[in-house]
Order: sequence, then C-alpha cells, then structure tokens
Amino acid sequence: MSVEHDPGERSLLAHVLLPVASEDDALATARALAPYDPDGVTVMHVVEKGEGVPDKTPVEQSEATAAAAYDAVREVFPEAEDHTAYRRDVVEAIFEAAEEIDASAIAFQTRGGNRLIQFLSGDTTLKLVSQADRPVITLPKDPGET
Amino acid sequence: MSEEELAKDLGPLAALTIGVGTMIGAGIFVLPGQAAAKAGPAVALSFVAGGIISMFTAMSASELGTAMPKAGGSYFYVNHALGPLFGSIAGMGNWMGLAFASAFYTLGFGDYLSTFVPLPTITVGSFVLTQIQIGALLAGVAFVLVNYVGAKETGRLQNIIVILLVSILTVFSVLGFLQADLSTLQPFFPKGTGSILPGTALVFVSFLGFAKITTVAEEIKNPGRNLPLAIIGSVAIVTVMYAIIMVMLMGVVNWEQLGPAVTDRPVLDVAEVAFGAVGIGALGVGTLTFAGLLATASSANASILASSRINFAMGRDKLISAWLNDVHDRFATPYRSIAVTGGFIVAFILIGNVKVLAKAGSVLHLIVYGLLNIALIVMREADTPEYDPEFRVPWYPVVPILGAVTSFGLIAFMKPIEIVLAAAFVAFGVVWYLAYARTRATKHGILSQYVLDRSEQLPKPAVSAARTAQPDGGEYRVMVPLAKPEHESHLISLASAIARQRGGSVDVVHIVTVPDQTPLEYGAEHIETLDAESQSLLESAREDAETEGVPVETHTIISHESFEEIFDAAADHDADLVVMGWGVDSHGAPGRIEGAFDEVTQDLPCDVLVLRDRGFDPSRVVVPTAGGPDSELSAATAKLLQAEYDSEVTLLHVADDHAEGEAFLEEWAESQGLSDATLRIETGDVETAIESAATDATMVIVGATERGLLERLVRGSVVIDIAEDVDCSVLLAEQKRSRSLFERLFGGD
Repeated sequence: MSVEHDPGERSLLAHVLLPVASEDDALATARALAPYDPDGVTVMHVVEKGEGVPDKTPVEQSEATAAAAYDAVREVFPEAEDHTAYRRDVVEAIFEAAEEIDASAIAFQTRGGNRLIQFLSGDTTLKLVSQADRPVITLPKDPGET
Repeated sequence: MSEEELAKDLGPLAALTIGVGTMIGAGIFVLPGQAAAKAGPAVALSFVAGGIISMFTAMSASELGTAMPKAGGSYFYVNHALGPLFGSIAGMGNWMGLAFASAFYTLGFGDYLSTFVPLPTITVGSFVLTQIQIGALLAGVAFVLVNYVGAKETGRLQNIIVILLVSILTVFSVLGFLQADLSTLQPFFPKGTGSILPGTALVFVSFLGFAKITTVAEEIKNPGRNLPLAIIGSVAIVTVMYAIIMVMLMGVVNWEQLGPAVTDRPVLDVAEVAFGAVGIGALGVGTLTFAGLLATASSANASILASSRINFAMGRDKLISAWLNDVHDRFATPYRSIAVTGGFIVAFILIGNVKVLAKAGSVLHLIVYGLLNIALIVMREADTPEYDPEFRVPWYPVVPILGAVTSFGLIAFMKPIEIVLAAAFVAFGVVWYLAYARTRATKHGILSQYVLDRSEQLPKPAVSAARTAQPDGGEYRVMVPLAKPEHESHLISLASAIARQRGGSVDVVHIVTVPDQTPLEYGAEHIETLDAESQSLLESAREDAETEGVPVETHTIISHESFEEIFDAAADHDADLVVMGWGVDSHGAPGRIEGAFDEVTQDLPCDVLVLRDRGFDPSRVVVPTAGGPDSELSAATAKLLQAEYDSEVTLLHVADDHAEGEAFLEEWAESQGLSDATLRIETGDVETAIESAATDATMVIVGATERGLLERLVRGSVVIDIAEDVDCSVLLAEQKRSRSLFERLFGGD
C-alpha cells in the first residue's frame, strides 16, 4: 500500500484508522465504512490499562476481545491491518496510533447512550473529535441496506 | 517494547499496596474490641499466629504466581493442579468468601460513617436495619457502582491511600506508646494461652488480601521478582503493624475497657487519649475515623475487583457461564459479574452480623488456601515441563505441608455455625460441578493426569476416584436437524462418520413447524396428526446411526420457526457441530434462504456444516481455501472423511501469483495435517476455479467466511451459484466464532 506524504494529494480514505471496542461494535463500524470503499484500513483496539492500579478487566480478556473485533472487521475488510494499544487514555492511544501508521483519517461510530452514560464513560467522542490532528469521520449509525 | 511488556504496568509498590491496602482495613478498625474481649493483650499473638499461617500460604502463592501469572489467582492454581471438582470448590469458595469479606468491610465503613453522619434506623415489621447497615448499604452500592462504570482512580491514588494509612497508623502508634503503661498490659494472658488460636480464627479476616495480588499477576512488571516481594512483603508488613498496634491499644487502655460491652469503637477511644496528650484529641479522633473509612473502602473495593477476576477465570475454564463475564460496551467493565457480586454483598449486609460474616469469609478463604498449598505440592511432584516458577518455596515440602495443615487446622477454631455455613458453600461447589460444570469443563487437573498416567503403580481406589471425578465435558455431540425425509440418510451418514472419528454421539432433532396461530401446547398434543412423518423419520434416522455404530438420541421440537430454532436447540443441547441439509425443500421456504444464511453468518453457538445434497459420496473431496478459521473447519472435516472413507482430498487455492499461491498452500496443508492431499493452484476468478475443480470431484467443502468470501458468498450469492452450478454435493462449513478464537488464544484442546 503506497502512502503519500503530501496531504494535499492524499485521499481522505487512503488509510483509515478504525478504532473499535467489542466484536459487535467492530462489525457494525466496518459495515458502516464499507460503502465508502477505503483504500486501506487499520483496525485498532485499546486495551485500557490502569497504569498503577489493576485494570477493569483481565488483560487476557481484553486481548480476546481485541482479537474477536479484528476478526469481525476482516469479514468486511479482509486485508485490514491490526494494531493493539495498551493505554489508560483511550483517545491519546488512538492519536498515537494514527501518527504511527500515518493514517489519513480516523473513522468511528458513536456508541450512543444518554448523557449520563456518556459522562460516566468519559465522553470519548468529544475528545476524539475536538483534539485530533487529522480528519475524524463519524460513521452513520444504521447505513441503509442497498 | 513487546506487547506483553506493555500489558504489565504495575510496579512493585503498586503490587505491594494492593495487598497491604486490602488487609489493613479490618483488623485494626473493626475487630480489636471483639478480639480483646476474646484473648486480652495476648491477641497481639493471635495476629502473629495469623501472620505465620498466612506466610506459608503466601510463599506457595508466590511460587504458583510466578509459574502461572494468570488472571484468577488461587482459583486458577487449584483448578489447574487439582482439576475442576476442586476448582469449583475453590472458585465458588473464593468468590463467596470475597463477598462475605466485602460485606464485612462495608459494615465497618458504615460503622465509621455513622459516627459523624446522622443516618436513620429503618424498621420494617420485625426487620430492623441499623444505621450501620444503612451506611454499609450506601457504601456497598457505591463501591459496586464505581466498579460497574469503571471510574478510574488515578494510577497513584491507591499508593497515596495506603501510604497515608500507614503514616497515620505509625503516628498513632508512636503517640500511643508515649501514653502506654506496661502495667496496663498485665495480665498478658487473662484468658489463658488457649485463647490465642480462637483469637486468630476471629481476626484471620484481617489477612485476606495477599492472595489477591495473584489475581492480577499478569499485570505486574517483572513478576519473578515483584510478585513474591509484594505477597510476602505485604504479609510481613501487616503482621508487624497489627502486633504493634494491638500491644499499643491495650497498653493505653485496659483490655477490659476496649471490649464491645464498654465501647463500640475502641480505636477512637485510644486515639482520644493518645492525641489528647498533645492537645489534639479531637483531631486524632477525626484522623482515625478518616483512616477507618479509607481502610475499609479500599478493602471492599479491591475485593469486588478480585471477585470479577475469579469469575473470568472460571468462565475461561467453563465452570460458569461466559455470559457472566461479558464486557460492557461503554464502560469496558465485566458489569454482570460485578452486579451479581454486588447482589451477594447487599444480601450479606442485610444479614448484618459482623462476626459471622468475618469468620465465614475466613473459613472459605482458609479452604482455598489449604487447597492452594496442596496444588503446589501436586505441581512440584507432577513436575510437568511447563512448570518453571522463578520463585521457589524454601524448605519444600515443609512449607506447603505446614501451610495446608495450619490453614485447614485453623478452621477447627471456628464456631460450628460458621463451619456449617462454609461447608454448605463447599457442598454447593461440589453439586455445581456435578450438575453444571462436569459436562462443560474441558480442562483436566494435573493431579488426575498424574494418577491416570501411573494407573499401574498406584492403588486402584485412587485411580478409579480420579477417573470418576474427571469432567466429561467435550464429549463431542453432532446435532442433525431434519426437516424432510429425502436427505435423512445422507446427513446421518455424514454426521455418524464425524461422530465416530471424534468418539462422540449423534443427536437427531426433528423440528416440526406449526403455524404462528397454533399454540405450541396444541402442537405438542397433536404431534401425531400434525406431522405423521415425525416418528418414522426419527426411527429411520436412529436405525441408520445405529448401523453406523454411533450412540444416538432423537428429539422432536415443536416450534413456530424453523431455521432459528435449529441454533437455539444446538445451544440447548450443547452441540459441538450441527450437520444440516439445505435446499429448496429443506428448511423454510426458498425465499428465506438468504435470510437464513444471514442468520448462519451472524452468531453461531457451534460449528455448522450445511449439505447441499446431491448424493453422499466422499470419495473425491475438493477443499477451496484462502486460509481463515472456516476453511480450517473444512480441512478438519475433509481429514475426518479421509480417515473414515479413505477419501482423495484436493486442496484448491486461487491466487494472483502462482508461486506465492503454491507456497501458501503447501504451508497451509502442512498446518492442517493434510500434507498428503493433492494441491491445486489456480489464478483468475474464484467462482470459475471452484466450479472447474468440482467437475471431477464428488464433494466440495467450502468455508463460509474465509477472507471476505462471506460477503461475496452471501451478498453476491456466489455460494448459491456454486452450489447450483456444480454437479456434486456441496458442504458449507462455518466455524463457531467465539470458541475457535478462545481456543486459538488460550490453547484449549
């Protein structure tokens, strides 16, 4: 896959970073992205670390979740690369990964939930959208079946 | 850094504070009054005895933890070494023990909360909720919620809390000793030396915590060094602190004045004297109250987290439903496990007797600790090549034997009611294993392997006991849903062949569809008239399977739906594989095939083979592959047919580049154990290649989702094209997704 370094000539979908959570989320996100036919896709999962305190879930479980999510994405994008990050700050990890793989854009699907849920889970959407140094694509929730 | 290192982010201090933070709460802040009443000043020795008993187990836990740094800790080691029967006992015991202890910690929290926050007492009929229980309920619900939403304390907060606690207690001890009078400690043994161990039994709950470090062993940096340091270090630190503080408390105020008959919170009374001497009595009481809240909160919090780790580990070994361990989409926490544990904690708070909770929690933990020491001995004796601990217990086998004997022995100093309560949970663990886990668990203990491997040398009863207790989970079950009689014999032949090769059985299910308007009960009563074929169909299926020499069961299921019911039934019957027919006349109307296949590709409870039947002739089998899990199932099926029918197997790979394709296919054939198969590499269109390869084959086995083939197959209907265009039978293979992943990740067998 050729990566062009001049952002002026680069397609928005040249190399999309696809951060996903669970297997279901991964499949839904990939299906939402599929109609736009991106040139390259890297799927990533952030294993949330405690960095000083025990994690919320065992590492083994987190890694199993990541692997299941990657498999789900590969059902839609067979050639997708994967990238696992181990960080406390999910959004920071996504930005770092985008930098590392030189992503042309970050694409994701908001996971909904009311304001309380968003507040409790630390509203990643807002941080992702407002602090990114490259395009962020919010994928529609239910892409129409064509 | 490798991924493995990235996942490890707990340094030695963080690991140590998990142990110290969990342990330091109860002993000092909740129990000293009751302990003093039991043994007088000698209770300091009760704590020392508890520390020594814990130290043996701490060493064993350290060795097992460095050898197997796996989530789940004590439970995992016991299950691994002694097998799922003891695993069930240890898992349930550890889980409930933690719930008991958490209820005890939150009651301690409620007690300190009620000293400065006015809480009501609620009376419902004859049921009274004290203000302590109200405080405990508030705290318990709060701790469960914090864990449920996974609010992240900053990484250092735990270290700060524990260091603060240790500092407060150190200042308290120093000021206390300045006011202490050695004569107050006389007599040291007012209840005789015989009261020491009953005292230990009471305060042992203060030592539950060191083993929790092992539940997060996989997250600790340099575990070979830091794990033993944290486990053994935390036991040493708290034992010394407990002993010093007990001596101090009873040097300042006579033990008789500390008992529950005189005061509710002896620590605060002593704080008033100790800090009062320097003119800050009120500040001292406030500080110690604050410390009491911190200590009990951190103990409860750590216990809730540890219990979700144990649930995860039990789910991994299939001793409990994996459903319990699902991770929340937004919070990324094992929310169900936390909620269920929270429910137990709330129930135990309502019971409300601090002493019974503490001691029942201790008994269950002591059982687990005893088993853990035995697990260590088994691992050492079996000496499997994988067992390579970085830390080794000194003076083996003395330490683990003493650990087991003292852990089990201390139980004798508990009251009968506490022992009976704990025994009930052990019995529950055994019943749970027999009723639920035995048919599901796949992992055999090292012990039973060791015994069975040496069945010649060892006494017969030991061997037969080991054999009887074995899990039979994993007896391979092939389910065959039948709709119409046409393809019955071919499906049964295929299913029987696979079942015989895997040493399993066949389960034939006839799904009778009744119109939505018909109540299912009506259907059940009128089965004969609704579907007269049912009995004769199942009867001939049974005969066919018996002819093949495979154990067979038959069932009839009445349902409004046809296709969906198959997967529900497969889940209900614990099927490992479903072999079903597919065709215009097999399941449902022709127009529903597309929808049906959506169903197949979404969520499968087991592996599935779908036969487009044009005669059952496995003599020349073609397996097209591009790698991936589903073609692994195709390969496995081809291999079984080869073993059964001596089939000629051809592997087909369509590649852009012939040489690359050849390299891939050779390697793949090797990895699937099919290196004796004919390899065929094609370039160009996938569909054309498969169809041309099929012309001289008798059967094509296609994986459903290999590398995007799913989309092409289902959405683009290529599979239907292939299945309709070729002249031979087509077998569509789809692997159960979650299980295969699980197995690939954890190397299950």
